[in-house]
This record gives sequence, structure tokens and C-alpha cells, in this order.
Amino acid sequence: MNGVPELLILRLLRDEEMYGYEIVQAIRSQTDAVIAVGEGVVYPVLHGLEREGALRSRRKAVNGRSRIYYSLTKGGLRRLEGLSETWTTLAAAIQTVLRGAQYGEAIR
Amino acid sequence: MAKPFGDLRERLLRAGIAPRHVRRYLAELSEHLADLTAEEERAGRSRADAESRALARLGTTDELAQAIIARREFLSWSASAPWALFTLAPLCMAAAYFVAAFYLWCGWNLFLPGADTPFGAAPLDGLANFYFQAGKFYYYCAPLLVGWGIALVAGRQRLKALWPLAGLALVAWMGGTAQIQTSRETIARTAHVGIHWFFLGLPGQNAFGSLAHILAIFTLTALPWLIWRSRFHPIFRLLR
Repeated sequence: MNGVPELLILRLLRDEEMYGYEIVQAIRSQTDAVIAVGEGVVYPVLHGLEREGALRSRRKAVNGRSRIYYSLTKGGLRRLEGLSETWTTLAAAIQTVLRGAQYGEAIR
Repeated sequence: MAKPFGDLRERLLRAGIAPRHVRRYLAELSEHLADLTAEEERAGRSRADAESRALARLGTTDELAQAIIARREFLSWSASAPWALFTLAPLCMAAAYFVAAFYLWCGWNLFLPGADTPFGAAPLDGLANFYFQAGKFYYYCAPLLVGWGIALVAGRQRLKALWPLAGLALVAWMGGTAQIQTSRETIARTAHVGIHWFFLGLPGQNAFGSLAHILAIFTLTALPWLIWRSRFHPIFRLLR
């Protein structure tokens, strides 16, 4: 699961700014709860991405509550593209191995 | 702060996470917990049930702590290099005494331009008296202020006692043995103010006086911190 939370967070924030709770709920609903971790652990990932310059944050008052909203930076967009490419390649390679196509084709 | 995060806070600080990261993490966790509780209540659960489910969804203290402890970029500088506090002590003291010396030099030139020394050269009144008394007060308080600053950093970051105590001992020695020396050039009449340190005061001076001064500074700076620190000791926690 290394790198998965980063990838999902960056992808979600590509379209709109969100705060932590929204991000976790979006991950849960978009993955049909397949990816379920302690919800609080999303924050160190968000803070780490912000430190690396992939995200920026701003405090915003909504319905009388102050929340920290995160959005993607240009550096974050580049990182998302890189991670997406890596994961697409990796997923395709794993699918190929699972289907056993390469091995089957090789011995034929 | 919500009660469940009290233990988490202590654990993170003891693990060396910088206080500003701990504060922000806990603030966001508290917000998240409130959202989860509201969501569970909307689903028809009682307040108590909603709170316990919300806590379970947020993650255990272990999970929440490990998630941030595992990332070394959140460590405080004093956790990464605890000896730095020992190095910081003489630098802060030197800076504080530089300010004191500069202050004295300014007052000397401003209020006693012709005097050979700023110490007891002429009777002072009004603003001049206030100026020099304020300077004297600052000079004697400087080691305490620096020592309390070091103790505050050590306390906030839950540092182990060794390096902060070594730093405080150095501050006490510098504060207890510092001597201000002034001189004025005969021809050019330029005023000079310097600060010197001796092992135990000026040669030939009563070493006991310096030693008592060192001990007084050390006690006043280290003791409040050590007492505050002792409340985290398992024995005191058991008594509560």
C-alpha cells in the first residue's frame, strides 16, 4: 500500500479543494470502502505532502467551524502524473502475471 | 482538547515530534472526530455510542501515533540533535550580554560623556538613574531569562534531562562569573565596555561568592523545570 494514500489524495484534490474529513469520505465512497484505514492517519500524509510542496493549505470558516482546506500545487500535479503512470504500469504488470499470460505464452 | 488525545499528545512529544506539528495534528483530529460523531448521530445513534464509534473509526492511539512518528520530517530540531540545546545556551548568553554591554555603552556616552567610568562616577537622577537601574536589572536577570527559555524549550519538547541540565549549568556558570570591565582611552576618550568570564570570578576575588551566585542561578532555572517534569514520573502518575 506504499504510495497509495498519496496517489488517492492527490487525485481527489486535483479537481477541488477539500478538508481531511471530506477526503477520507471521498476515498471510502470511491473505493467502495475497499481501502479503509484509521481515518486519522490521513493527516500525517497531508502534512507530509504539504511540506514537500505538493499541497497547499488554507484555513476557512464554514458554518461557524474553522477547517483546513487542502489543494494541489503545480508540483503536486506533476507528482500525481508521475505516480499515476507508475501505478498504471505496475497494475498492468501485476494483471499480466495474475492472468499467467506471459508464462503461458513463453512456453508455447 | 478532547480527552482521548491527551495520551496521544504526550506520546508524540516524547517521541520528539515538534510541538507545532503535534498541535496541528491534534486540532485536525479533534475536528475530524466532531464530524464523525455528528455523522454517527445522524445515523440515529445515541451520543455515547456515536462518540465511541467515531473514536474507533478515527484509529487507535497506536495507529495515530505511529502514522506521524514514522515520518522523520516531523521531528523537532532538539529531538534530532539534543546536544544543540547545550550549544544554544552560551550563544544566547553571549547575545544577552552583548545587549547589556551595548546598553551600558550607550548610557555612558549619553548621560556621562566625560566620566572615566559609568559606575558611580557622579550622582545620577531622573531619567539617567532609571536608565542605569533598568540596565542593571536586565544584566542580573539575563541568565535567569535565558535559563527559563532553555527550560521552556526542554519542557515543551519533553526532552531527557541530560543536555538541558548541562546547558543550564553552563548558563549558571556564565551568569555567576561574568564581569563587566570598562575603560576610556586617555587621548581619544573613546569608551570601551567588555564582558569577561573567569573560572570562579576574578583572580583574587572570593570564589565562594561566585559559587553561591552560580548555584542560585542554576537552582532558580533548573528547579521549576525539574518539579514540573516530575509530574510525568510513573510514581507521581500512580499517586494521582
